[in-house]
Amino acid sequence: MPDFTFSRRSLLKTTAALLASTALPSAVFAAEAKAGGRLVVAADSEPKNLNPAIVASNGVFFISSKVVEPLAEASYEGENGLAPRLATSWEGSADGLSVTFKLREGVTWHDGKPFTSADVAFSALNVWKPLQNLGRVVFKDLEAVETPDDHTAVFKFSKPTPFQLIRNALPPLTSVVPKHVFENGKIEENPANTALVGTGPYKFAEHKSGEYYRLEKNPSYWAKDRPYLDEIIYRVLPDRASAAGALEAEEIHLAAFSAVPLADLDRISKEPGIVVISKGYEALTYQLVVEINHRRKELADLRVRQAIAHAIDKDFVVKTVFLGYAAASTGPVPKNDKQFYTADVEQYPFDKAKAEALLDEAGYRKGSDGKRFSLKLLPAPYFNETKQFGDYLRQALAAVGIDAELVNNDAAAHMKAVYTDHAFDIAVGPPVYRGDPQISTTILVQGGIPDGVPFSNQGGYDSKKLDDIIAKASEEIDEAKRTELYKEFQKEVAAELPLINVAEWGFITVARDSVKNVSNNPRWAVSNWADTWVDA
Amino acid sequence: MTRALRLVRRRLLTAIPVLLIVIVGAFGLLELSPGDAVDAYLASSGGGDAQMIAELRQAWGLDQSATARLLAYLAALAHGDLGWSVSLDRPIRDVVMERLPNTLLLMGAATALSFGLGSALGIVAGARPGSFRDRFLSIGSLALYAVPGFWLGLVLVIVLSISLRWLPLAGIETIASGKHGLARALDVAQHLALPVASLGMIYLALYLRLMRAGMAEVWRQDFIRAAAARGLPRRRIVLAHVARNALLPPITMLGLQSASMLGGSVVIESVFAIPGLGRLASEAVAARDTPLLLGIVLVSAVVVILANLLVDIAYALLDPRVGSNEPAS
Amino acid sequence: MTMFRHFLRTPEGRAGGLILALIALAALAAPVLFPGDPLAIAAQPMLHPFQNAAVPLGTDRLGRDVLAELAHGTRTSLLVGLAAAGAAVLVGAAVGTAAGFAGGIVDEALMRLTEAFQTVPAFLLALAFVSVIGPSLATVIVAIALSAWTQPARIARAEVLSIRERDYVAAARAIGMHPAEIALREVLPNALPPVLTLASVIVANAILIEAALSFLGLGDPNRVTWGGMIAEGRVVLRAAPWLSVIPGIALVLTVLGVYLAGEGAVEAMARRRGAP
Repeated sequence: MPDFTFSRRSLLKTTAALLASTALPSAVFAAEAKAGGRLVVAADSEPKNLNPAIVASNGVFFISSKVVEPLAEASYEGENGLAPRLATSWEGSADGLSVTFKLREGVTWHDGKPFTSADVAFSALNVWKPLQNLGRVVFKDLEAVETPDDHTAVFKFSKPTPFQLIRNALPPLTSVVPKHVFENGKIEENPANTALVGTGPYKFAEHKSGEYYRLEKNPSYWAKDRPYLDEIIYRVLPDRASAAGALEAEEIHLAAFSAVPLADLDRISKEPGIVVISKGYEALTYQLVVEINHRRKELADLRVRQAIAHAIDKDFVVKTVFLGYAAASTGPVPKNDKQFYTADVEQYPFDKAKAEALLDEAGYRKGSDGKRFSLKLLPAPYFNETKQFGDYLRQALAAVGIDAELVNNDAAAHMKAVYTDHAFDIAVGPPVYRGDPQISTTILVQGGIPDGVPFSNQGGYDSKKLDDIIAKASEEIDEAKRTELYKEFQKEVAAELPLINVAEWGFITVARDSVKNVSNNPRWAVSNWADTWVDA
Repeated sequence: MTRALRLVRRRLLTAIPVLLIVIVGAFGLLELSPGDAVDAYLASSGGGDAQMIAELRQAWGLDQSATARLLAYLAALAHGDLGWSVSLDRPIRDVVMERLPNTLLLMGAATALSFGLGSALGIVAGARPGSFRDRFLSIGSLALYAVPGFWLGLVLVIVLSISLRWLPLAGIETIASGKHGLARALDVAQHLALPVASLGMIYLALYLRLMRAGMAEVWRQDFIRAAAARGLPRRRIVLAHVARNALLPPITMLGLQSASMLGGSVVIESVFAIPGLGRLASEAVAARDTPLLLGIVLVSAVVVILANLLVDIAYALLDPRVGSNEPAS
Repeated sequence: MTMFRHFLRTPEGRAGGLILALIALAALAAPVLFPGDPLAIAAQPMLHPFQNAAVPLGTDRLGRDVLAELAHGTRTSLLVGLAAAGAAVLVGAAVGTAAGFAGGIVDEALMRLTEAFQTVPAFLLALAFVSVIGPSLATVIVAIALSAWTQPARIARAEVLSIRERDYVAAARAIGMHPAEIALREVLPNALPPVLTLASVIVANAILIEAALSFLGLGDPNRVTWGGMIAEGRVVLRAAPWLSVIPGIALVLTVLGVYLAGEGAVEAMARRRGAP
């Protein structure tokens, strides 16, 4: 993912001055960085399995990324948007059948053992490919990992695999775990899945359930004089409204992932000593999507789906639900991905009259009660914003004569209703775009996916044309051609509307101004924080 | 004492069928729920494919029939084993025992506050029934009783923790503070001040009103009139005769209220981020962790039963009439 | 009607009656004054109260009219309170009467069941029930009634035990009336008054539990509830305090009104009994 220019900046309500003060380049502070101290941050969940090599999710990365490192991290400046971590260079072969990684030398695990290519081979073949939620897709054709020496690992694929895909997958999918810790016994049951052992700048110290996680400085970290902090405490505050108070009372220093609700940002940004930062999430873009169950005969009609798209005022959603901290979507690839994004797709401007005309044309005229038909609407419960958009969507549909009944479920029940039982007509989902459509985006519209696979196409949409594009792109090793195929993919999705993309957003970090070097890479919240320090 | 022992034995015997009903009921309720622990896990971990999901279900024993799982659970329970929490990946007994003291502390302190302050104010109100003081306290406490606990908690946090910074905002103690002994106890006391106030102030009305009503009843009785006729000072009559005799109804209420307190602590614990049993329960519900929720329900039922037992014993000791007419079994 | 006069003669009765009358009026008038969906987007989001005549109490985060939400929320709160209390009293009275009348093993079994329900904290039970079945008005009502029926049951049983040996019941039995018929026609009407005095406490508790459930996000999403309004306003508690303060006041007033009315009723009953 090259060039993650920050495209949302223009949309922000926060003043330019505020942005300038919070987004100062790290170089200004680098000279005076102070070592030592404790950083306390808010955490809203306690993942059952903390091993990022198995569970590639942001909730896990938020804590584990400081302990277990990937081969490469996302970067604003680096080539192809990457900065080296455990790998120092990577190169794909012309036939797409192998990728060669040069590994960093002089790295040791937290238990003192040396880090070698055997660890990478073990992680790739025994963990990422068979066990990891996303790795199972990206590394499905990985056949072997050759280790000619301790610091070289060569990935061998049975089918041509786009190097572009592997590169884009490096930050989220390639957390390396120690072979000597995991090789005996069942990997899923290894105690090191929670008491992590890694190579990162911080060592896992303790977890007190319901209270906190504590990480402490790794004195033998491979980067000289890093990290600065003595320890990081993740304070468990499951209640969304308490993070803002805790920041103001100086009980915590930083709240990431919009733990401070968007609606409170305007107020809290005026508090002395607190800064609001919208940078640092460019590689973690969430998409607000209306999932559609094509088994409903009304929704199987393209005109009805177009009408729904026209009934949604995306600008209102961005302004009101996201308070400006988002961008309206045009299709399945977010605008901030300069590599694949195209604006040249069918657009659906907010137009109530057109929506009503399309519904009339499809044969669903208003009854005597002003209603055309009724739908069950299931907003995903994971974010305030998805629930609020559900409230909005119900009103927007009512305005064109579609009666939507909201069904609120908790996470588990929502999962089952939408992805296993298909007991919905429309749902609101927040899929994550992970820098390459093949990682977790094409699965949202692809046909023939078995029941029960979460965050996948469970709406019964099945298009030969779209599936062909997806299949071709997944094997295309020429980058330009592959990019072209994904542009075609976006056009097809926007024209056929298997789902409706409404908005895309990154998160907001709120921190005390004493915390330095915040948000200096596009995955900052889930990166290693080796250069973060506190000006006590 | 033999009477108290008999009481204990009888209580414990009747507790067994009660607990059994509770377990089967809770188990049945969770069987009705859409989505299982695997669904909850996938929602938090970002997905997986069909084969991985089937493997997880098998590993967590979710592919067996409901009856088989219930029987296995009851069998393990007979050995004192509460089972394994799938969402926390730890033995349930350990988790529950880790969280229980926090909840007991919260409940105990809140009960002491509402009972102590409530009955004291009840004595003040009941000393002169019908006076302005009496009306003011009765209506005032009723208004407090009408306030939702979570709301009181929110307001107290904003005023005392965020604006004035007098008290810590959340949690049970300062994180990884390394404090010991008295310093740690003080730290915990500071953290618990607001949650205890939010939980305790609400139930204060209950004890105040019971005390007051009881005193009004006692005032009408002959022996009080006799005491007044003998010229005893009013203060002494109020404290030694009226209040003492009116204390029994509030004490009975202590046992009955233990379940309400435990329920109230669910919301208070989530507002104040206290790692107690109540918050564990809402986490267990969200994670569809059936065995964990069952364990919590079971343990809270035991707590309620024990609290009532304690109250019964106290009652029996205070009032010699109780239990004397019970058949010896 | 003397009962009602007695009721109005107590200060609690007067205050409670007045509050409840106002609230009932608001509930009845809501659909007339604010026709249409109270959740519809009415104006610009986050308008302060007392600034725009069209939306006197301001608007919430999505631009919904707070006054309309408040008025419609009254209906939900009252409906939940009354329906849950009604169901709890009916079920409780039935179970208690059955237990008291049948005696023996049936009594034992029903009382253990009652005890089991009393042993599980009411809010925990309601929370588990609603999150398992899914939030809707009906499930919230059932969830609350599920834990509220035990006290009426105990009282009904105690009453039945105290009157079932009395002459008229014995007479009914002697003339060969079916036990169920005796229970229904002779015992139940006599056992009802003390159970009903409990009703105000149950109504108030039901309203508070509904609010707490909505506050935790387990209310019916298709209806306005005060607890839901507080929960939504809570996110912006410091920036827009009115969004949670206004429904909070409504909630406290309603519950207080119910309590006061209950007090008034108890006192009125005592006075009538005491009256010559």
